Amino acid sequence: MFSTTSLTRRNFLWHTGGGITGVALAQLLSREARGDTATPRPELNGGLHHPAKAKRIIQLFMNGGVSQMDTFDYKPALERLHGQMIGPKEKPEGQTGPAGAVMKSPFEFKQHGQSGRWVSSVFPHQAKWVDEMAFLMAMTTKTSVHGPGSYMMNTGFLLPGFPCMGAWISYGLGSLSDNLPTFVVLPDARGLPYNQKGNFSAAFLPSRHQGTIINAGSASPVPDLFANSKHKFASQEADAASLALLQKMNRAHAASHPEDSRLEARIAGYELAAKMQLSAPEAFDLSRETASMRTAYGMDDPVTEDFGRRCLLARRLLERGTRVVQVWSGPQGAINNWDNHGNIQTELPPIAASVDLPIAGLLGDLKSRGLLEDTLVIFTTEFGRTPFAQGSLGRDHNGNSFVTWLAGAGVKAGASYGQSDELGFKAESGITYCYDLHATIFHLLGINHEKLSYRTSGVDRRLTDVHGHVISEVLA
Amino acid sequence: MAQQTHSPTVNPPVRNAVVLVSLCLVASTQAEDFFSDKIEPLLKQRCYECHSHQGGKMKGGLTLDSKSGWEKGGETGPAVVAGKPDASLLMTMVRWRDDDHQMPPKQQLPAEEIALLEQWIKLGAPDPRTTPVPSPADWWSLRPLLQPAIPPGAAHPIDAFIQERLQTKQLAPAPPADPRSLIRRLYFDLHGLPPSPAEVAAFAQAATPAPAYNDLVDQLLASPRYGERWARHWLDTIHFADTHGFEHDDLRPNAWRYRDYVIASLNRDTTWPRFIREQLAADVFFPTEPALSAALGYLGAGTYDSSAAATAPTSFEYLDRDDLVTQTMASFVSTTANCARCHAHKFDPITQEDYFALQAVFAGIGKGDISYHEDPAVAQQLQTLNALLQAAESKDAAVIQAPASAALITAWEQAHASPVAWKLLLPETFLTAEGTLLERLADGSLLASGPTPDKDTYTVTTTTNLSELTAVRLDFLPDDSLPAHGPGRASNGNLHLSEIELQVFRPSSTKPEKVSLQRALSDFDQVNYDVTKAIDGDFKSSWAIHPAIGQPHHGVFALREKLPLEAGARLVITLRQLQGGSHLLGRFKLSATQAPANSLRALPTALEEILRTPQPDRSPAQQLALASMVARLAATEALAKLPPPVTVWAAGRAAKNERGVVSIPQPRSIRLLQRGDLAKPQAEIGPGALSAITALPARFSLDKPQDEASRRAALADWLTHADNPLTWRSIVNRVWHYHFGKGLCDTPSDFGHMGGVPSHPELLDWLAVWFRDEAHGSLKALHRLILTSATYRQSSNANATALAVDPDNRLLWRMSRSRLDADTVRDTMLAVSGNLDLTMGGPSVAHFTSKPGPQTTPVLNYADFDWNTPGANRRSVYRLVWRAIADPFMDTLDFPDLGQLAPVRGFSASALQSLAMFNNEFILHASERFAAKLEQEFPQPEGRIRAAFQRILQRDPTASESSDCTTLAAQHGMAAVCRVLFNANEFLFLD
Repeated sequence: MFSTTSLTRRNFLWHTGGGITGVALAQLLSREARGDTATPRPELNGGLHHPAKAKRIIQLFMNGGVSQMDTFDYKPALERLHGQMIGPKEKPEGQTGPAGAVMKSPFEFKQHGQSGRWVSSVFPHQAKWVDEMAFLMAMTTKTSVHGPGSYMMNTGFLLPGFPCMGAWISYGLGSLSDNLPTFVVLPDARGLPYNQKGNFSAAFLPSRHQGTIINAGSASPVPDLFANSKHKFASQEADAASLALLQKMNRAHAASHPEDSRLEARIAGYELAAKMQLSAPEAFDLSRETASMRTAYGMDDPVTEDFGRRCLLARRLLERGTRVVQVWSGPQGAINNWDNHGNIQTELPPIAASVDLPIAGLLGDLKSRGLLEDTLVIFTTEFGRTPFAQGSLGRDHNGNSFVTWLAGAGVKAGASYGQSDELGFKAESGITYCYDLHATIFHLLGINHEKLSYRTSGVDRRLTDVHGHVISEVLA
Repeated sequence: MAQQTHSPTVNPPVRNAVVLVSLCLVASTQAEDFFSDKIEPLLKQRCYECHSHQGGKMKGGLTLDSKSGWEKGGETGPAVVAGKPDASLLMTMVRWRDDDHQMPPKQQLPAEEIALLEQWIKLGAPDPRTTPVPSPADWWSLRPLLQPAIPPGAAHPIDAFIQERLQTKQLAPAPPADPRSLIRRLYFDLHGLPPSPAEVAAFAQAATPAPAYNDLVDQLLASPRYGERWARHWLDTIHFADTHGFEHDDLRPNAWRYRDYVIASLNRDTTWPRFIREQLAADVFFPTEPALSAALGYLGAGTYDSSAAATAPTSFEYLDRDDLVTQTMASFVSTTANCARCHAHKFDPITQEDYFALQAVFAGIGKGDISYHEDPAVAQQLQTLNALLQAAESKDAAVIQAPASAALITAWEQAHASPVAWKLLLPETFLTAEGTLLERLADGSLLASGPTPDKDTYTVTTTTNLSELTAVRLDFLPDDSLPAHGPGRASNGNLHLSEIELQVFRPSSTKPEKVSLQRALSDFDQVNYDVTKAIDGDFKSSWAIHPAIGQPHHGVFALREKLPLEAGARLVITLRQLQGGSHLLGRFKLSATQAPANSLRALPTALEEILRTPQPDRSPAQQLALASMVARLAATEALAKLPPPVTVWAAGRAAKNERGVVSIPQPRSIRLLQRGDLAKPQAEIGPGALSAITALPARFSLDKPQDEASRRAALADWLTHADNPLTWRSIVNRVWHYHFGKGLCDTPSDFGHMGGVPSHPELLDWLAVWFRDEAHGSLKALHRLILTSATYRQSSNANATALAVDPDNRLLWRMSRSRLDADTVRDTMLAVSGNLDLTMGGPSVAHFTSKPGPQTTPVLNYADFDWNTPGANRRSVYRLVWRAIADPFMDTLDFPDLGQLAPVRGFSASALQSLAMFNNEFILHASERFAAKLEQEFPQPEGRIRAAFQRILQRDPTASESSDCTTLAAQHGMAAVCRVLFNANEFLFLD
């Protein structure tokens, strides 16, 4: 049904099937726990409170804390002050060791694009796309510890048990399609990030809003999509007959309790499940992509293969109606991620190379398909690193300053907002927190971050807590 | 230029005078009109969104919807100083003085509005708004508990209250539920398991329904299945799980002891106040019942960030205490105290002082493993022996010579009556690794001289004519050639023995055998460097003797097993001295014995002499010195023989975690933090609770405030006080919530202004008082009362009239239909398929396979789990709940995220839930097992299908259902039918 050539960005949304339309099903399911919040409105381009620029999101999350002064935050002062002991005397909270001497970046920086953005040599491919990106150069957070830091960037809170951004978006906007999960998480093949699945939780929101973890390499990427084939009583044919009987019984039961919409919601759940069974295998089948497309995402090279595969899968899912995809780079742990304590010069280049080409491939692909017009791409991490050496060659955790970029729908291409201090140690002006980033993302989706809330334990909880300002400087 | 710049803000004196005069002349009504016409609309339009009760926000603690609001001001002080615009914070803010002072934040007010505000303040800020803001303390949940009279009518008090309300709405209760629905409801409610077809049939046929029902209630409450079912509710409420959550989501392999404690407490019907006391301070209230230490697992139920604990300790402790305050106040008194961390609670009368007083309650606890003995006799022994040890240290004659101790000491002296015969081991070869020179002296000792390396290892080879060996002895001897007379070579005469190792070379063998040393005794140990460090296998730890230098010392090292020695066997003794700083042995001697291991001792030379003195000749001082030494040895030996303690992840005076033993000698000083910011400490706050409960003192007066446990005990006293209205309302409402699917107040952990308002406040209060005074805190009595009401027993069928009046059934005109929770769904499938394993208690059961992860958190695989694994079919309450790597199947059925408290279970329906229910291996496995059982029990499909319906749905199939199922079974097997029934809404919903 979908071939890469015939696919346009409009013909994959809102398929209908069975007796109930996608809209009706989605509404049926959303009846369960929604309070008085608005519903997406067509005249707002699917936005809740104002017109939406973005319909879907792909978030690239670099686990471990990307070193800003070795990637996007060029600091010539580090060359001048290299070797000087001018850092904090006492070990700051969250750092794993005392601050060493100032350490210059071992990587060469050059200016790129019309915008003249400085990018280090570890990101040669992203460097070609800087004119499409808007940079938040002075992001800051409230901790320098991975667990709370990852929770903060994903859920807006330092503690476990709060819904992540993807869950909030699923709750607020619902699905674009019946055929696929609304919010998909693609973890690194080498393992889950810090906080395990806590980063993708729906927490107190209805559990259906939590991230569906897709194991990109697995035969059954969606959990329990099909029964294990060893069960003859659950063969494809048996499934059809069983489901027919189940729905007959459930409909008869619901008919005698018409006032209880939960019964209808469960019936709809099975209809949607059947649709997902039909469409998901095609969506996950990367062999349907051309060889050149796979090459563009770096799937031919072992260095970029895993991240590239997940970026390509993300694009296929977004095309087919998944609303939010989060692609993680790096598992938890001391190696294979962005937590470069030991030696920046040897630890950063391999992890940087593993994402650089795939990200450029993704941006190029989205742009050529016209998807970048209403898809928002976000590159972020849980915190930055110190300009002071840890040991003699590494860098420690630093929640005071880090960099995030946005690209695509509604983003002011080539913009930059905020500045860190001379060393890149602390955000100095145009400081932004996760609250502001989340408010801005919500804004692009047509959501007022102050209005989307859920009452629990005595508080109307929001993704942005009691904070958050839309960063108009990076909006087109 | 200068004049121009200044002119707008400096008024000529004359005009000022005019204003003053006019102010005096303006009638107050005019001033008030000015406020009402100009200022109030302005405030409403520009400020109320963030600073009013109606806007629901009090940013910065400031409200502008009453005069007292701006008079009191926010966190930064009064907003308006009447008559002084330039001294008024409000003007500073609206004038956008600088980045930190900009209100409204998004756009500055037009100049004319700023001028109006200035004029109003100059006028003395007249503000006639007298609308009293209701006192926040005058709130249903905080009012004193008074038991309302039972309305006339129904015999059962609950029905009387419910029906009275229904009558006011011209509604009537639903008819009684049919027996099948009722018994199903009761079983799932109390046990989380279905009734058997025989139980359903017997109940339906009971000649006298009422006694049969009441008997059934009693029977179900008496079953241990009740505690298993209801424990899960409490574990949800307090976010209990088996792992830490956070970056390192490590397993707590002993957390289950708390889970078992909760199950046992519910089954034995521990009264509610006692349950509270046990969980908060069992160590204080019940010191003679050590098994209750498991209750302290309550304090460890939540998350734990070991990474932050190590690298960001200040913020870690702050947030960890916050989690405990949140949990305690939500679970026991349904209060969201944590909302007052950064500012006074926006909606409830909880001040920041209250919040930090609650933090102070937990300011001295250590979180981690707590050790205890379940057997009180053992615990008692432990206590006695520790007291004896302490007395021995302080030579406390009263304790040592008390009859109990005296008996122990006499027994010891008798057992050790004959002195141990030590036989010198004459060194035959002696080598040093780093160049120390050793010389053998006439007495058989070795003396070191020559180079003084930083570290060294001596290896001594020797033989003995003993035919077996039980211990070796190492004597350190002083010598005038050594610094400070030795016996070590360090400049102060000290030495460090990192490890002593023994090997035996048998004549028949070419390789040495390692001989294991089990026990080490010495006559003297340096603090933190006791003799056991010399046999612990750790080269970084060592035995040393500072400051008792210049004297002889010795250590005795007992072999794990008696070592037989044949002629020609050689002993090799390795003495590792790896402390550095030339802490080397200066002069030493080795000897050996074959005396029984239990006769070994290592006494100071002086005491050896006392022992050699015949008893009648010993002086009183000698007697006491001897008794003290013997007491120490006897107590140490007896302690070693006690069974090992068990542990539970909890919190208390001392706990052991990955950082070692956490025992905070003095509770942390807790200061109020402005905006909750650690960088902005204010006044110190002592332990206490909520000042809104005026019947009780809000701050605790403690005899020993430095004893952290006494703070927990004081909080327990406050919580369990008869005059604390929250506690009693909270628990009866929580129990109601689980019986009816919704509490009388529908937010069971929040009785504040943001929570729900009770549908039947009189009933709630009546129940609270009854529970406190008549049921004496018995949960089983409360269940019995609720379950025997007609309100509980009514049908769940809807009627159109009532549905129109009260669609949410808050008035309880029928029973609410509820969906089975994840645990019940799972347990029921196990039960009907004949797989359910009812083994109770013990370590949690994993429903996943695991392999090591990149760090301490393993990688879990739920999909690969084999459901035939032993223990896999136990009840879900025994399931290992990995906090942040949750079971996806349970997730889809709304098992809560236990990162936070979960006082209610959610409901959701989704494609992913349907896929899980239809295709998850657990369900397919259960379907298969159930089908096999049915096929074994019944020869014909009809019989199997009828039995399947009876066991899953507690009814017979209709003719058409039977025919549909027969067709499906014929085509795809009986398991296909079981799978359909497990997915049926009629199974998943409880009428």
